[in-house]
This record gives sequence, structure tokens and C-alpha cells, in this order.
Amino acid sequence: MEALRPFRDALSNRHELAKEWKSKGHPLIGWTCTYTPEEVICAAGALPIMVWGDLGDTRLADAYMPSNSCSFARSCFNAALKGDYDYLDAFVESNSCDNRGKTYDIWVNYSKVPNIYFINTPHSNTEKAHEFFYGEVVKFKKWLENTFKQPITDDSLNDAIAVYNENRALLHRVYNLKMKKPPLITGVEFLEVALSGLVMPKNEHNRLLANFLGEIESRSDLPRQGVRFLVTGSVMDNTELVKLMESVGGSVVADDWCTGSRYFWNPVSLDGEPSRAIARRYLNKVPSSFMFQHEARFRHIMRLAKQFDVEAAIMFVIKYCDTHMFDAPLLRDELKAMELPVLYLEWEHSMSGFAGLKTRIEAFIEMVGGVK
Amino acid sequence: MVSPERKLKTTSGFHRNYIQKSYQEAHRAKAEKRPVAWVASTFPVETLQAMDIVPIWPENYASVCAARRISVELCERAEREGFSRDLCSYSRCVLGSVFGYEKELPEGGLPKPDFLVATTCACDTHLKWFQVASRACKAPLFLLDVPYNISGGDSAHLDREHIEFYASQLEELFAFLETQTGKKFDMDKLRETLAVSDWTSRLWTEIQDYRKAVPCPMDARDAFSAIFFMLCIPGSQLAVDFYTQLRDEVRERARSGIGVVEDERVRLVWDNLPLWYDLKIFEYLNSLSAVVVAEVFSHTWTGSLDPAKPLESLARKYLPNMANSSIRRRIDIVVDLVKGFHANGVVLPLNWGCRMMSIGESIVRDVVYKKLGVQSLIIDVDSSDWRVAGEAQVRERLATFLETLER
Repeated sequence: MEALRPFRDALSNRHELAKEWKSKGHPLIGWTCTYTPEEVICAAGALPIMVWGDLGDTRLADAYMPSNSCSFARSCFNAALKGDYDYLDAFVESNSCDNRGKTYDIWVNYSKVPNIYFINTPHSNTEKAHEFFYGEVVKFKKWLENTFKQPITDDSLNDAIAVYNENRALLHRVYNLKMKKPPLITGVEFLEVALSGLVMPKNEHNRLLANFLGEIESRSDLPRQGVRFLVTGSVMDNTELVKLMESVGGSVVADDWCTGSRYFWNPVSLDGEPSRAIARRYLNKVPSSFMFQHEARFRHIMRLAKQFDVEAAIMFVIKYCDTHMFDAPLLRDELKAMELPVLYLEWEHSMSGFAGLKTRIEAFIEMVGGVK
Repeated sequence: MVSPERKLKTTSGFHRNYIQKSYQEAHRAKAEKRPVAWVASTFPVETLQAMDIVPIWPENYASVCAARRISVELCERAEREGFSRDLCSYSRCVLGSVFGYEKELPEGGLPKPDFLVATTCACDTHLKWFQVASRACKAPLFLLDVPYNISGGDSAHLDREHIEFYASQLEELFAFLETQTGKKFDMDKLRETLAVSDWTSRLWTEIQDYRKAVPCPMDARDAFSAIFFMLCIPGSQLAVDFYTQLRDEVRERARSGIGVVEDERVRLVWDNLPLWYDLKIFEYLNSLSAVVVAEVFSHTWTGSLDPAKPLESLARKYLPNMANSSIRRRIDIVVDLVKGFHANGVVLPLNWGCRMMSIGESIVRDVVYKKLGVQSLIIDVDSSDWRVAGEAQVRERLATFLETLER
């Protein structure tokens, strides 16, 4: 479908696009955790870009990061060492997991990025945590203002919130296309749509989304209906695993990835001071597994399973992601209680061991429904 | 080699005399329906001690299981429930014991908690592990959400906002403890407990200071046992009494020039945890004329407490724990130890299931070498899961490292 092409192109040319944006005078700010308040970066006239790694070996990073550290974090750092992110003006890190907190030091000591900023992210959303995180958002705002000599006003913050909220609403509409039977877009297509928004300006992404939504109802090349799958896990920055699932009879219709449904599910409530509203949104959104409210994530997942009428689930846990590894058996039990067949998989972001993963996925999909 | 007369008398029979007794006492408390709580390390345990709540340390229990060499079987029990082999071995071991183990558990197992308290101060693993345990034991969990000490400053150099957020949650903790125990929180009792804990800290620091002596009068094996009080019950008279006795003995040895080994040639700083299943490794080092003179572990749990400022001083004691800080903090500690304890080598054991003890050790190694010209050895091990690295392999690497140092 033609209206999907710009998303795919943006993904494959993301580094070139970023450089182009930079040449127009906009600072580029890399981030890796979806608890980064992107609206504040946007309000500073800068472009927030999610940092990803390649699906390949991480031999450059392996010299600095041990083999029991998060394989996604290692891939990202490997890309930085390779020079893929030399264009970044700043990199924002957080303590949203143990791996991240300590990876901050690795970037500070061994990467070339000129500015590295750290946001202290609470793991709870009590009133005291909200107050603390509000302070962090204000500090971040001041740091951006000082570093990039660009005042951030309440107006510019409100504008950024509006653009981001529109983006969330549009993504939600696209997401719901997968409720249909057969789904109006495939899981791979949705990932391309969602991921491209993490590496381009949101207003540009909104334009593409609106255009796509205008054309989708008349789609002629409808995807075929496979076994309807829910996928869970932390971050998914590539389409390989979903591509594999959909090539052997699966249809990925629902997910709880932080780069998937959890990214756009909750808008910022526009009331009062914008920095406060932004801070609240992040601590109150469908939580990641590092948050004390992990059961809210389980509820989100189970709601999705029902709404999207899924037939089976695959839990993808990136290797050495502690918080997801701890949640996995609990979540598995919850899903099994809904009589869903569940497959738990740990995967290395470098895709070492991919052959074994492929066999298990194929066998599981065949078992739960066969090739439709 | 260490001859029997070179072994410290105060720490002899430590496990039997103190650890076993503490578990017996915990079981007794449970039977008598006194409140018992599971506590994750870096939690301000003084608050529980002030309420006469019996603290139980699952981490300590895992180390006990490792020393008895059943930790791997318990880990496998948790793995059968779906908990990844790459998770913290302490957590797998303890969860394994909770899920049901067909043989007899050491110390009669952990008494079931009335409630659990955890903090993100040392790691997210504590939060997640205790969430699972809270479900399994059907007991409520309190979480102390601790900001990350990104500046890497020590207790005198912390962010005001961090201290305030920490202290404000202690008030929530008191309310939680009141609900759990049905007792009113007594601030005066907390002040008394802090004064005792402060004294415990000072004694422990003094003991460590005597290890600067050449030859070193106290070994890592003694330290990793005796630190039990500093870690688990710092606000108790028992801790003060034991450390006074230990201090006297170590001081006497330092003054008389009695070292752990006769021919001390290598003085080492040891980071992170020991291999609890192979504490004899320190004797092996002694047999090669090497002594661990300081553990980073022995220098990160202390902290002065001012009874006049109870909440703030608890924040200042626990917030800058190196696990909760930028690697700068760990580097500062290691550099100070190498200099202050006249060490000529550093051992940086990673811990397979622990990101906090693994990521960043390359920076420690690089900076320590650049600043002091002292070499470090990074070894891939796990504190309680010997499937990660065999004893023979670890010993061989240590021996090779010592040879490099002596060259």
C-alpha cells in the first residue's frame, strides 16, 4: 500500500533524515527510555530521536560492557561506538532500570556525544513521586534552555503537548485497525508506522498518519488473517521478529511494547501548568515493568487480549532485562488463566541464537493454529 | 598458609554463634506472633528495629544456602517456575525455598513474613523479587522509592531534592508500620536506635582502619561474616558488643604486628560479593602470600546517624550506597582503599545476575590504573550460582593475576 511507504522509507533513512534536520539548525537529542518527556525537547525546538542498535554482533561495545548486561543497551552503545550517532547533540539517560542507570556511566566515559543528561525517574506514582518527577522535568527544561540557548515557554510546551497528543490519538486509530478480521494492517506494518514516529518530527509524522488514515478504508491489498497474536515485552526497535511470526501464519494484532501500545496509550491531560501535566502523564501511563504498579501493565495486556480477540501470546524478553524476567512468570499465569496458549522467549538483541528462536516460534504457531 | 593461631578468635564459630541464633530467634518470634518482616538490603532497617519488628534478610539466607551448597538446587526450583537463570541468584535461591523444596531447608527455612519492605536503593531486582515474594507469601509490600545518586557524591554531597523525597517517604513508612503492627511509631525510640547504629558504624570503621597495618591483621573471610551485624541489625546492642570485642582483638594484632599471613606479599582490594559457596578462596589467596585487606562491601554500608535529625541522616546514610550511585562513587571508594590500605591489586568479581555489580567495572579498572598504576582483575562469577564459573577456573585466574602483580 502506497501510503505506508513513507513510514518505511523514514525508518531505513533515519540517520540521513536526522542529519538533514540538524542542517536546518535543530539540535538532535537521543533517548532510549519511553519515560523521557519528549514534549520538553520538542518545545526547545530540538528533535528527540530514539536510539537503537543494529541486529548484529556488538563486538565494539563488548570491550566495555559485560556479556550479562542488557543486550539492547549493548547494541545501542555499539552503534554509538561505530559512529552512527555522531550527529547527536545530546543523549538522555535515566535510572528507569538498573541497566540504564549504569549504562549512563558507559556513555559518559566512552562515547563521543558532547552532552549527556540524566533524568531521575521514580518507580512509583504516589503524590510525592509526582512532585519529585515534576522537579526533574523542570530541571530538564532549564538544562535544555541553557544548553541550546532556546527559551521554553508555557506556550511552546502547550504546543508540543498538542502535537504529541494528536500523534497519540492518530496512532491509536491506526492501532485499532487491527481489531478488524482480517486486520486492516499487519503487525509489521504497524511497527513500521509506530517506529518511524520515534525518529522524525511528530508534526511530520502526524501528517503522514492522517494521510494514511484517509486512504486505509479503501485498501485493496488486505492482509490475510492468521492466528491472532498478542506479543509482550519491553522494547521492540525492529520488525524482524514480527516479520517471522507473520511469515509462518501469525497475525500480530496486539502488543504491550514500550515502543508499541504503551507509547501512545495515554495522552497528557491539558490542565494547569504544562510541565506538571507532562510529568504526571509519564508516571501515570500504562507502566513499564520497573514501576511498582506492575499489575496495571498486566491489566492493560489482558484488556488488549480481549479487545483484539487474540488466540495466543508470545512473550519476548530481551536478554538481561531483569524487571521483565521477574514479571514474566506472573504474566504467563494470568494469560494462561484466560486460556491463551503462551510462549516465553528470551532473545539477544544481536540475534545470536536466532535459528533456535525461529524454530520455537514456527513450532508454536503451527501448534496453536496451523498455517491459515 | 594461615596457621590456627593466626585466625581471629572473635569470629571463630560465627555462623553457629550468631547467624544460626538469629534464625532461631526469628522462628521464635514468628511462633510468638511478634511481627517479622522481610527486608531488602539498603533498606533503613533501623526504623524496623525501633518498632521491635524482627528483620529477616533473604539475601543473607541465600548466602547461607550457598555456603551449604544447596543454592543451585534452590535456584533450579525457581527456574522450573519460569524465573530466568539470568536473574539474581539470591532471588532465585530464596524464591526456590518459598516455592517448596523437598529436602530440609537450612535454618528451617525463612519464617513467613507478616509484611515485606524493599527499596530501589540497591537495585530494581529488590523491588521485583519482593513483589513476587509478596504474592507468594500473601503479605503486603512497602516500597521505598529512592532517587539515583547520579552525581556520585558521598553522604555530605547529596542533592537536597533527593534527601527530601527520601525523608518524606519515611513518614509514609511509619504509617505503614503502624498499620501492620497496630503500634504507634515512637520517634524517641528511633533516635535511640540511630544512636546505637551510629556507634556500630563507628566501631566497624575503626576495625577496618586497623587493617591498614602491614601485615594486615584481619582477612576478608572474617569481614564477610562479621559484616552481618552492620548490614542486618546495626541498631542493636549485640552489634556494638560484638564489634567492641572484635575491635579489641584486631587492634591488638595490629599493634603486635601479627598478620593474617607470615610472608605478606600482595595486598588486595576486593569489590562486590565473595563466592559464598567457596569462602576458602581467601585462604587459597593466603597460601599464595596474598591478603584481601579491604572489601568495597565493608566500606559502603556504614554511615553516621544524627539522632537529632533522624530522617535526614537515614537518607544520608543509605542514598549514597554505591549501588545507587554513578560509577564515580565506586571509583572514589576503590581509589581511597587502594591508597589508604597500601594495596597493590584489585579484584573486581562480577555477579552474573546483578547489573549493578557488573556494568561499569571496566571503568573502575581503567580509572584505577590511570590514577594509581594499580592493576585490576575482572572475573565473571556469581556469588551463589557456581554453574557460572567453576572454583578451579576462578582460582587459576587469581593465581595468574597474582603472578602478574608480583612480576
